[in-house]
Amino acid sequence: MTDNPSPDQAGDEALQEALEQKRALLHEVDHRVKNNLQLIASLILLQTRRTSDETARTALKTVLERVTAVATVHRRLFQNDPLNFGVADFVRDLTGDLAAAAGRDDLEIQLDLEHVAIPAASAAAFALVVNELLGNALKHAFPAGRPGRVRVVLADRGDACVLTIADDGVGMTGQPAFGSTIVKLLCQQLHAQLEVVDAQPGVRATVTVPMISEPLVA
Amino acid sequence: MTAANALDVLIVEDEVLLAEELAFLVREAGLRHVGHAMSSAEAVALACQLTPDLALVDVHLRDGPTGVEAARLIVEDCGAVVLFMTANVKRLPDDYAGACGVIGKPYSERAVTTALAYLEVCVRKGRAPGPPPLGLSLAPRFRELWGAGLAETG
Repeated sequence: MTDNPSPDQAGDEALQEALEQKRALLHEVDHRVKNNLQLIASLILLQTRRTSDETARTALKTVLERVTAVATVHRRLFQNDPLNFGVADFVRDLTGDLAAAAGRDDLEIQLDLEHVAIPAASAAAFALVVNELLGNALKHAFPAGRPGRVRVVLADRGDACVLTIADDGVGMTGQPAFGSTIVKLLCQQLHAQLEVVDAQPGVRATVTVPMISEPLVA
Repeated sequence: MTAANALDVLIVEDEVLLAEELAFLVREAGLRHVGHAMSSAEAVALACQLTPDLALVDVHLRDGPTGVEAARLIVEDCGAVVLFMTANVKRLPDDYAGACGVIGKPYSERAVTTALAYLEVCVRKGRAPGPPPLGLSLAPRFRELWGAGLAETG
């Protein structure tokens, strides 16, 4: 028993099959990336637990936070629109992680987040910038015993997405070397404008990411 | 420190390093890690033998994408509460195969420990202490069963 599909039907079926295969492959790669990021995080955590030297532990934890920021991006990627990345939900998620890591119940974190989407290709860079700025505020602005407040504001300015992280802590302390290098470099990569000011009290960092979509260069 | 009456937790995960780290987090949350399975058959056998209160189940196991069926059997035949931990959140059936919810991979340490603390209250009291923490999605049935659905804004 044979049914003879018309050439059109056969072509449609082949196309459908190819599409289905592409979808399955994308899913498989997505799944692998997520699992491997989890594996990387687990390796760092396991190493941290076996390290007694405080300096080494702090370094490992900092690396873990950066990996977690990238992992959080991947968890949220492909959830809805595969090409755009919702920043507000991500910032909420990351803030939860960083606040828990800081382990301070005397710090209040206020979130005022508008829904903004950035290209998925920029998501990891942006995530690392948020991670550094917010992590910096939580770790350095409030020495033990000094309570305070950190405000995270995300605004859609139409032509740009503006992120502001402001704390009312001890102000510029002239330290973080590598963290601020990461922020500067990634802001260059994002064509973003970075402004860090002594807000007296505290520090206010503003990152303005232009939203003009650039053609993708392969 | 694990309390004498801590919840018993079974880990079903084919990546041993993830399982090892997860076992740490389980103990850190004050729960008792009672076993680890890597395949679906092993998972169901261990679940019925050890009768854990909670099973943390990945979808992809050593014998393939069998975690969903394993979860169904663990819930129905062994009476445990199942929580999926998977990078495949979208592939879960609408009824979560009887599981109470899911944590998407890659998860953070914080997401796991807060979810475990939350689920411990749910399992013990049969009632949620509030809306689920960030990172944990509850199945519709359990959202209703534990009364966890209404307090989103509260």
